[in-house]
Amino acid sequence: MRNGTDRLRALNAPQRVRVELDEQRRPRVVKREAGNEKRVESFGENWRMDDEWWRQPIVRRYVEVVLEGGGRVVLFEDLMTGEWFAQMPA
Amino acid sequence: MTRTPRLTSDTAACCWIPLFALRCETARRPELAALPLALLAPDDTRRLWQVAPLARRAGVKPGMTVSQAIGLCPALKLCEPDPVHYDEQFARLVAALVTVSPVVEPVELGRVFVGTDGLEGLYGGAEEIVEAIKRGTRNAECGTEMESSLDCSAFPLPRSAFRVGWGRGKFVSWVAATRAKPGEAVIVPVGGEAKFLASQRLAVLPLDPDTHRRLLQLGVKTLGALVALPEEAVVSQFGRAGRRLWRLAAGLVSEPVVGRVVPEPIVAALTFFTPVGDRDLLAHALDKLVDRALGDPRRSGWRVQVVRVHAELEHGASWLVAATLKDPAATRERIAAPLKTQLERSPPAGAVERLVVEFTAFAPGTAELQLFARDAGAAARAGRRRALQSAAREIALRIRRPMLYHVIEVQPWSRLPERRYALIDFEP
Repeated sequence: MRNGTDRLRALNAPQRVRVELDEQRRPRVVKREAGNEKRVESFGENWRMDDEWWRQPIVRRYVEVVLEGGGRVVLFEDLMTGEWFAQMPA
Repeated sequence: MTRTPRLTSDTAACCWIPLFALRCETARRPELAALPLALLAPDDTRRLWQVAPLARRAGVKPGMTVSQAIGLCPALKLCEPDPVHYDEQFARLVAALVTVSPVVEPVELGRVFVGTDGLEGLYGGAEEIVEAIKRGTRNAECGTEMESSLDCSAFPLPRSAFRVGWGRGKFVSWVAATRAKPGEAVIVPVGGEAKFLASQRLAVLPLDPDTHRRLLQLGVKTLGALVALPEEAVVSQFGRAGRRLWRLAAGLVSEPVVGRVVPEPIVAALTFFTPVGDRDLLAHALDKLVDRALGDPRRSGWRVQVVRVHAELEHGASWLVAATLKDPAATRERIAAPLKTQLERSPPAGAVERLVVEFTAFAPGTAELQLFARDAGAAARAGRRRALQSAAREIALRIRRPMLYHVIEVQPWSRLPERRYALIDFEP
């Protein structure tokens, strides 16, 4: 999120990632834009969020994962476009 | 025992620059003037403090949260507040006014009362006094009494921002200033206070919101309507505060302007047991003397502008150096630095028997101990901010691009994590 004068920039903006899914449609491998790729070692909570249905609907499926190496990250699938994003956990 | 002279004046000129802090920012960065601009509150960066007219037109108001404001005006330009800079600019304005009248009472950023009793002999009537005040603020930096250009000003604000009200007492002059058009003055002749005040709106009185609402519910919309009520009836409804409001509205209260006495020179001296020629020792003694002079209670609320050091040398000779600080200061480092430079460049010709530090001229207010926040907490905050600004400038110089940001809450309640907080450039 940036305003018109390019002064405000969102903190924890989602980063686009590519994921490989397992048979249960859970992320198995996460590939960042930079090219490095990490396996998902374990899953935490998952939840769905529907918001702003009155203008530009936002529908996301979140899943909290631990990647190989121990990094904890929140992944979500934008159910409107099918794209996956990563965010820092709150 | 010396008696402190009391500087007061019944007639007052109120000099008012609305949105002073915001105007300081646009004066410093003129490119901001054309943008819908808002300043974040110094004590709560989630909220807006001052809002430029362009942003106001979009519905943005002071006190709103950043998220509300961005929702109303997506192009809103947010600025980090710089209270030290505003305070310094205001101190310059006050210093300029002191050249016109010795009775000057700063009230808040952008609002200052000037006592005008006795100035008739110097300048003439009220109109001429008001002109002298305007001229004084314009010419302070030029050191001339001639009509000067717009950019030759005591403080870099557009002259049109300056409004002046003249009358008997601070309240009348303040109301007159609020009625003045930008760059102009309203003069209320002595004896004409009641007539002038009668048509003014109730909001000019120092009312709490509840009293304001109750008076409006009673159908009282102007000061004239309030004065039309019996004084005792107002007192029975609103108590002692009601009496004061009624008397203010009737023009019966005339609070004088109370100025501050500029301190006499402050002197700190040290006599050495044996004459000293070592420069390090002299520099150390200089530090101690500056500290001692700064600690003098008379210095409180004033910054040092001119400092002199003189030394009595062996065999009856003497040594003297003086420094005029471009930016008046109240810290040892900034005051002692030019003196030490001179000590290195032209040291005393012999060993020093007695060393004397003297502060001879002062400027009102201090960055370190601000005019409107004289408590220790505010002084510490100002000090930290100055250190942070200095570090930020250093970083910007080294890496040549802005890398420092301030985190502000935008929609902390949002379910979307990226909408909760945002970064704003930190520009010292």
